[in-house]
Amino acid sequence: MTASLMSGRLMSGSTSASFLNGPELWFANRGTGFVLLVLLTLSTMLGVLSTARVSPRIWPRMLSQGLHRNVSLLAVTFLAAHVVTAVVDTFVDIRWWNAFVPFSGTYKPLWLGFGSFALDLLIAVTATSVVRHRMSHRPWRAVHVMAYAAWGLGLVHGLQMGTDVATVWGAAINYGCIGVVLVAVLVRLGLLVRPKLVTV
Amino acid sequence: MTVDTIAVPTATTAALATDNQPIVRNEVGLDPVVWQGPALLAGIAQGPGLAAHRGRLGPAPTPSADELVDLARAVDLRGRGGAGFPSAIKLASANRRKAVVVVNASEGEPASRKDAALMSLAPHVVLDGAVAVAHALGTREVHVVVPSELPSIRVGVAKAIRERVAAGERLKWELHDAAPWFVAGQAQAVLQLLAGKENLPVTAWQPEAVSGHRGRPTLLSNAETFAHLGHLARVGADGYAAYGTAAEPGTTLVTLRGDGWDPVVREVAFGTPLADVLTAAEMGQPLLLGGYHGTWLKPAQLQGLTVSRMDIAAAGATLGAGVLLPLAAGWCPLLRTEALVDYLAGQSAGRCGPCLNGLPAMAEALGDVVHRGGSILRVEKLCGLVAGRGACAHPDGTARLVTSMLSCFPEEVDLHALGGCRGDAEVFG
Amino acid sequence: MSSHTLRVDWPACTAHGLCAEILPEVVSLDQWGYPIVHEPVTDDVLDMARAAVKACPTLALRLTQPPKRH
Repeated sequence: MTASLMSGRLMSGSTSASFLNGPELWFANRGTGFVLLVLLTLSTMLGVLSTARVSPRIWPRMLSQGLHRNVSLLAVTFLAAHVVTAVVDTFVDIRWWNAFVPFSGTYKPLWLGFGSFALDLLIAVTATSVVRHRMSHRPWRAVHVMAYAAWGLGLVHGLQMGTDVATVWGAAINYGCIGVVLVAVLVRLGLLVRPKLVTV
Repeated sequence: MTVDTIAVPTATTAALATDNQPIVRNEVGLDPVVWQGPALLAGIAQGPGLAAHRGRLGPAPTPSADELVDLARAVDLRGRGGAGFPSAIKLASANRRKAVVVVNASEGEPASRKDAALMSLAPHVVLDGAVAVAHALGTREVHVVVPSELPSIRVGVAKAIRERVAAGERLKWELHDAAPWFVAGQAQAVLQLLAGKENLPVTAWQPEAVSGHRGRPTLLSNAETFAHLGHLARVGADGYAAYGTAAEPGTTLVTLRGDGWDPVVREVAFGTPLADVLTAAEMGQPLLLGGYHGTWLKPAQLQGLTVSRMDIAAAGATLGAGVLLPLAAGWCPLLRTEALVDYLAGQSAGRCGPCLNGLPAMAEALGDVVHRGGSILRVEKLCGLVAGRGACAHPDGTARLVTSMLSCFPEEVDLHALGGCRGDAEVFG
Repeated sequence: MSSHTLRVDWPACTAHGLCAEILPEVVSLDQWGYPIVHEPVTDDVLDMARAAVKACPTLALRLTQPPKRH
């Protein structure tokens, strides 16, 4: 299916009238997908780094927080672009509500649904983080932790829906990101059992 | 419960009403020997029942909020939980809609037994006070917090409440069991207990009299404080001032803890010389006044000292929870303090970094000073570091104890630096 | 000159140390990484104090007006 899809799209050409049907949106969607994975992976790593006690001379504490925030916001813009390019593209039938309501699509509903679920979670994470200092800490944290789930859902969504998984660079990015997040999660779990007693 | 009338062999009783004081001995466990007193402990020989209480004193007083505040202000009534906060201010703050009354009888201070004595032997004196306050604040909700490690107190209080309900008193009583640790009696920790959470302190952005249990104005005070309020409402400011001094009217409960005998609880009028409360031998020993968060006083400072807030403040100490801990003969004040600090460090709630980290460090530094000739500068620095940096006053109290030890016993510190100790070698082996 | 106080919600503080980085004029860290508020917050550092309150990862800081009895 993938091969015929590719040839069909490339042969249709890219006149302005068929822009919405052409390969550009598809390229953009794939590209934003990968960049999104990388940015979310980076954000996860920076988030874990924020909870670690690294000497401020090596790594100022504000740096982790600032980078985590900016990288996350960048990821959100790429997420928006990823969703828009998918919905606007007329070659595949993805309606705008399929992006927000998981498993409601007609095209690969399960794997698309994973992506929609991830989007919903990231909307919640972003919204709560924007008003973080106006809400109490525990509920914010409960929502924020779901970012890990969003990453996982997005990864599976990409692996199953993506058309570049088989390529060398695609595999490299995927495995690289999986590796980084695995390490980050292990570090975070290790930090979780650290007591408040700090011997410096 | 047995009642003996024993000619008291130790102190003079000039400040009390009669020479022979009925002493009530509670048979359950290591409970205090309680002397009959002039005000709060006047009726203990008649037993804790409601009938005897009503027969002696009549119905519970029903002052208005303004009346109660004025009375408390007139006699400068202070809280008896250790902090000594003016009750009039607390009452005035809590005098708003939907108030809650909380009687704190949890007595987290291990050396203190006065609240246990009150709740076991004179519960209705306390509960009358709580009812008077509830009436004044226009609420029916009264919580009573009892120590979980002394189940007999809960039994006694529950019985007293049942008696009152049977007699027609219509209030919503709720009993709570405080956890057996030191900080369980702290105000915010008690509010957490009431809220069904762990009985440990949290940060308070407003005093509980303003916003406490469920955000409502909460009049949380020590059990003895309520006893005083009830008594005050009954006899008025002039009646209350029948004992004590003009500057400090009234009485206060103290716990005397020596080693090797039962703790003693006495009701003492303000202005009573300490020499009338302690034995001659005890007057010649250093005294830890106030409890485990208290202050050491040298024997020289005890001469002429009276049980008086102002007098004691002038000596650099506070009455605190009213605990008098004379150092037993043959003991060393540094070793005693070290043992207390070890205990207190272990009693940190573990919620606040400076306390969780600072108190064990302080205990270790103190151990260095006491056993290994270490520098007191490190101890002093840690005392300054932990004070004011926690959700409750546990680190402050511990620092106060250590600081008073250092300022009271510099000769002993020097002696220890040389490997000596004034303590009896046989006691410590 | 109004004087605000930076107050710490001690059970919430987990010694991230951002406050000391943003506001060294007011906050330094003890040997365990917990904040020591050693100065009142004067008008010239009020903005940075607000930034510190916003930046705290566990929302353990508050800016209050008159210095409170702790």
